[in-house]
Amino acid sequence: MLNFVFYFQVHQPYRLKHYRVLDINNNTEYFDEPLNETIVRKVAAKCYLPANNLLLKLIKAHRGKFKIAYSISGVTIEQFRKYAPEVLASFKELAATGMVEFLGETYYHSLASLYDTDEFLEQVQMHRDLIRKEFGQYPTVFRNTELIYQDKLSDLIYEEGFKVILTEGVDRILKWRTPLYAYKNYSKDISLLLKYYMLSDDIAFRFSNRSWPEHPLTVEKFIHWVNQLTLSEKNNKNLFLNLFMDYETFGEHQWEETGIFDFVAQLPGEVLKHSHLGFAHPSQCHELSNYQQESLSFPEPVSWADQERDVSAWVENDMQQNAVNTIYELIGEIKKRGRSDLLETARYLTTSDHFYYMCTKYFQDGDVHKYFSPYDSPEQAYIYYINALADLEERLYDK
Amino acid sequence: MRILMLTWEFPPMISGGLGMACYGIVKALLNLGVEIDLVLPTKLAVYFPLRKPEDADLLPVEFFHKQERAEYREETKTMTKLEERLKVLGITERPETYINFRDLKDYETLIHYGTEKFSSITAYSEYKLYRETPPVSGEDLMFKNIRDSLIGEEDIFRKVQEFTMRATMMAKINDYDLIHSHDWLTYPAAMFIRKITAKPLIVHIHATEFDRSGGAGDERIHKIEFSGMSYADRVIAVSKYTAQMVMTRYRIDSGKMRIVHNAHTTNIIAKKSQEQRLFQGPTILFLGRITIQKGPDYFLDVARRVLEKHPKARFIMAGTGDMFRKLLHKSAQYRLKNRFLFTGFLNREEVETILSNTDIYMLPSVSEPFGIAPLEAMAYGIVAVISRQSGVTEVIDNAFKIDFWDVDKMSETICYLIENPEVSREIGYQGMLEVEQIRWDKAAQEIREVYREFTEEHPAAKGRVKE
Repeated sequence: MLNFVFYFQVHQPYRLKHYRVLDINNNTEYFDEPLNETIVRKVAAKCYLPANNLLLKLIKAHRGKFKIAYSISGVTIEQFRKYAPEVLASFKELAATGMVEFLGETYYHSLASLYDTDEFLEQVQMHRDLIRKEFGQYPTVFRNTELIYQDKLSDLIYEEGFKVILTEGVDRILKWRTPLYAYKNYSKDISLLLKYYMLSDDIAFRFSNRSWPEHPLTVEKFIHWVNQLTLSEKNNKNLFLNLFMDYETFGEHQWEETGIFDFVAQLPGEVLKHSHLGFAHPSQCHELSNYQQESLSFPEPVSWADQERDVSAWVENDMQQNAVNTIYELIGEIKKRGRSDLLETARYLTTSDHFYYMCTKYFQDGDVHKYFSPYDSPEQAYIYYINALADLEERLYDK
Repeated sequence: MRILMLTWEFPPMISGGLGMACYGIVKALLNLGVEIDLVLPTKLAVYFPLRKPEDADLLPVEFFHKQERAEYREETKTMTKLEERLKVLGITERPETYINFRDLKDYETLIHYGTEKFSSITAYSEYKLYRETPPVSGEDLMFKNIRDSLIGEEDIFRKVQEFTMRATMMAKINDYDLIHSHDWLTYPAAMFIRKITAKPLIVHIHATEFDRSGGAGDERIHKIEFSGMSYADRVIAVSKYTAQMVMTRYRIDSGKMRIVHNAHTTNIIAKKSQEQRLFQGPTILFLGRITIQKGPDYFLDVARRVLEKHPKARFIMAGTGDMFRKLLHKSAQYRLKNRFLFTGFLNREEVETILSNTDIYMLPSVSEPFGIAPLEAMAYGIVAVISRQSGVTEVIDNAFKIDFWDVDKMSETICYLIENPEVSREIGYQGMLEVEQIRWDKAAQEIREVYREFTEEHPAAKGRVKE
């Protein structure tokens, strides 16, 4: 049996405004509210609302057989409340079907796991509480920001009572192995589900690419590829086809005109025509895996980003490293001084996107970075960020 | 007395100190009753006949082409703001944004001075009817330098060619007594005007290519500078430092050199109280183009050392320039956290805000012919640390003067000032009183003296002095 495990990431950062040196000590509004509102409303109209609507219909049509999972960052839920409450309502409607699993992550979609363990655990707990409050589920499956994962993270997450972690199916770790099996972490405490990046990216990135030889991608073609995957697995093992992607793939990265919604609409029906294919939630990997899970070690952090599938998209160049070190140092200082009035703002500045905008990698990946950045250049992004940190620090030492 | 003045920058067309200096000089000369026909690198072919002090701000305009004048009048009929009209003329905050290739079509003819082609230039032949131009010894070589050096596809060279083309038109503005040309960009045009009209030429050195490049620089520009200064009847340098450089590097006859120090137009400003400031900690400012001449990398090195001792200090780098990205990445590489900030381009009002929030001003220029900016900073009562390689050090006593390369000494000085705020304030106050005395009136009087040498002694000018 091959189980499709769909997990969709829903995230929108609080983007910084063009915060200049002369704003310091004059202006405590760091974030570009009009821009953030515009983007959330735009993506709501193009993606969140139509996609939720479609998936709700599919879940109802394929009673109990079609399952999906979401991870929605805390800062995104906040923005839904403020700018698009109808989106939050429609996610709640999805939650009520019982066919949707919500995953745990950091509330602020941050890189805290790499820099500040205490802060990381606090953000994870904040997010779990939020998910329970909004959707009535207490997550048992964890996915870290941008699927960043390494061995020591699994220890922390296990301690917190999570059962499964999602991460990237990185070739340099898997080597000859297939990402279709469920694996264990290095200490065999917790299960890992690994993204099948080829087939995930066929939908997320290549779907509308006319220069891709396989364009246009049809459901028949996709299922044909999936069937080929299972030919070698005849021992009745339960496998997991982990299709992990940004939710904005549907209608925002791949526009409606590309036929992406039609593809999604047809997929569950076609999958369920085959008796050896089905859908599963990430949390089901324990009950379903009918084999000894092999243990995998990730000594260095991996992620789902760029060709390198490491953390270089966020914390490689000097600007990124200076920025990220400064914010975590500042958060430590804010906590030490008990300045809870500044903590929330500081945490908004931990969102990984701020560092992504400072990325200076070129070629293919640089283009992707540019597409997502609201700034003219990585240097501009860095300047506004550092200026905001300077103001935050002035406020910290003010009283 | 009426002067034909050529310059590349003038407010609101400003990218550096040249524009501020020209404005100060022009306004003070107008105050002395000197009349000025000002030519700028405008898009439309125009000049500005300035007769009264307020004209320096209003910029009344006169056209070289009648048809353009008619079009301009039509286009600006409903405009009420000066800025809008200046925009139509092609005066922007940033020069070098346009090139009129139309005007360049005769360039080949013009630069062939000494040939039949050159004699065919209308303006030249018209003038020849009236007077024989007294030849300057070696002038063939000087014009050959222009012919050979004013070539290149770079925007700036095309712009200078275009400006030079207007020389023949400028020559026809009849009534001026002499030509005053600022910096190499206007030298070729000034040389042709002198050649055509035989009127005395004064060139004014605000910066040489050696200063700007922080090294050898562009040989073409050296040759143009050399030719302009050699052909000129007088050479004004903005400091002894610059005069020295001109004499040693360009071998210009010291007998025709004059030194006129710059001044500033800033009003004395009382410093803001501590509560209203941008930063609570000591604030150290670099203000200027982020380019090799200004030594921004020395400022960064000093910041790195000072921050080790005084981690609460803030270093502000205000301005833009070709080294901006390099400096930004380096500051991040040094992990200066949020202690080293970049403002980007600041307008006049924002400069004032940043100055009123600054404790220590640093000018680590590698080579600064004068440096008006430190005078402005001092007018705010800010203590200044200035490189010895700056002309401005010749006119002030109440500032720290240190070799630009002596990062240790600069760092020690800044640490000392941070640790002794009362000393810092006292020196700042004394400096403020001192720069209050440095005004453009004095500079303008000195410049008028240079003019007078000519209007009285130059044979071609005899009988044309109106005073």
